[in-house]
Amino acid sequence: MIKFAFITWIALAPLGAQGIKLPSNLDRLAAKATDVVDVTMDANLLQLAARFLSDKDTDEAQVKKLIGGLRGIYVRSFEFEKPGEYQDSDVEPVRAQLHTPAWSRIVGVRSQKSGDNSEVYLKTENGKIGGLAILVTQPKQLTIVSIDGTIDPDQLHELGGHFGIPKVDTRKETGHGKDE
Amino acid sequence: MPTAGSATEAQAEAASDVTFAEVLRANQSSVFSLAYHFLRDRGAAEEVAQDVFLRLYRKIDDIENAKHLTFWLRKVTSHRCIDYVRRRGSQCTIALEDTAEPPAIEQHGDPLLSRRLRHLIATLPEKPRMVMVLRYQEDLTPEEISDVLEMPVRTVKSHLQRSLAILREKIERSMGEIR
Amino acid sequence: MEDFEQELKYALARKEQPPSLEAKVFASIARDASARKLSWRWEALAASVILVAGLGAQHAHAVRERVAGEAAKAHLRLALQVTVTELSKIQRTVRASTEDE
Repeated sequence: MIKFAFITWIALAPLGAQGIKLPSNLDRLAAKATDVVDVTMDANLLQLAARFLSDKDTDEAQVKKLIGGLRGIYVRSFEFEKPGEYQDSDVEPVRAQLHTPAWSRIVGVRSQKSGDNSEVYLKTENGKIGGLAILVTQPKQLTIVSIDGTIDPDQLHELGGHFGIPKVDTRKETGHGKDE
Repeated sequence: MPTAGSATEAQAEAASDVTFAEVLRANQSSVFSLAYHFLRDRGAAEEVAQDVFLRLYRKIDDIENAKHLTFWLRKVTSHRCIDYVRRRGSQCTIALEDTAEPPAIEQHGDPLLSRRLRHLIATLPEKPRMVMVLRYQEDLTPEEISDVLEMPVRTVKSHLQRSLAILREKIERSMGEIR
Repeated sequence: MEDFEQELKYALARKEQPPSLEAKVFASIARDASARKLSWRWEALAASVILVAGLGAQHAHAVRERVAGEAAKAHLRLALQVTVTELSKIQRTVRASTEDE
């Protein structure tokens, strides 16, 4: 057991100070995916982006405010042509980090029918939100989002329809999925 | 940003305000669309579009003005698409009935008929196919298409005429007459 | 214009590009710069790439920084887009499940 934990720790590729460490084995999934989003923005890159966000543009000012307290944003999203291209073991190192006292799962939605599983976690630091993580596992899609730093989830949600980010209609019926 | 001094410096500063990102954002949908309507494969179209804009980045010093930029993008995209098909051979021809379509920027007309037309256009040989896409997506005249594809005008007109006849016949056979 | 030609125009209406295209273009520019053995850092591009012909050296740095900054913005936009989209989909699913009860 101890040996397994040791190996798991070695396999995690630290990317500077970040909320969760994204395992390096996720990189090999890119070769099998039809579409990949791979974004790594540490504090330096976020500061660079912030310098070019205009205070005069409402949308950009909103984003600038949102990212002001962040230390990093990390996204790995893979779409596959067919199910079975990734395993639970690929995701387990991420889950293991989220099942620690610092993190609380605030939403968990699972569909037995479609096999979709979506989870949202918040990290608390000194009584404030210090990170947000989203884990979406679907038969043909895997998405991991890690946001490290002070974040307001409501401000994040309000970005839909602004800054080139499409607004998803949350009122539409999906016809699938039930609360866990 | 440095402050302007002489008239030359002021012009250079004004020009530098047009960033590559702005050029990319203003033109990416037309480049992607051109590639997509020709290749009928979203991934391939994205690959071609990336290649085109990388080439543009390398060659940006050679671009004289906005009109030249538009011409350059159409020309390079068209040629890269045709090269892509030739490199990949018949594997590249995709006309799947259930291919997920990227959304149109503005949706008009009968969606079923539009979809059918797009499939039929994809079955045309490469050069006539590109002629049709340049004509009906980009609204180019035969003379403009001739410049982009480096093809005689009479050949462009011949491709247009024949392709229209083929498509009309196939559509009327499958869906009835369109006036 | 004849109806059939109008239908062709509708059929070949411009499509929306994938949201990741912008970020991918900048990533390929970055890889290209590395492959050409130019030092690439997000904060500054190599001297041989100049955005607008005729810029003097004193403007080149500012221009290069702007390109790097725009690239960072594109990546930020993409990251936020994925985040907001997934959060919204989760909210929609939760709402749908709640309404079913």
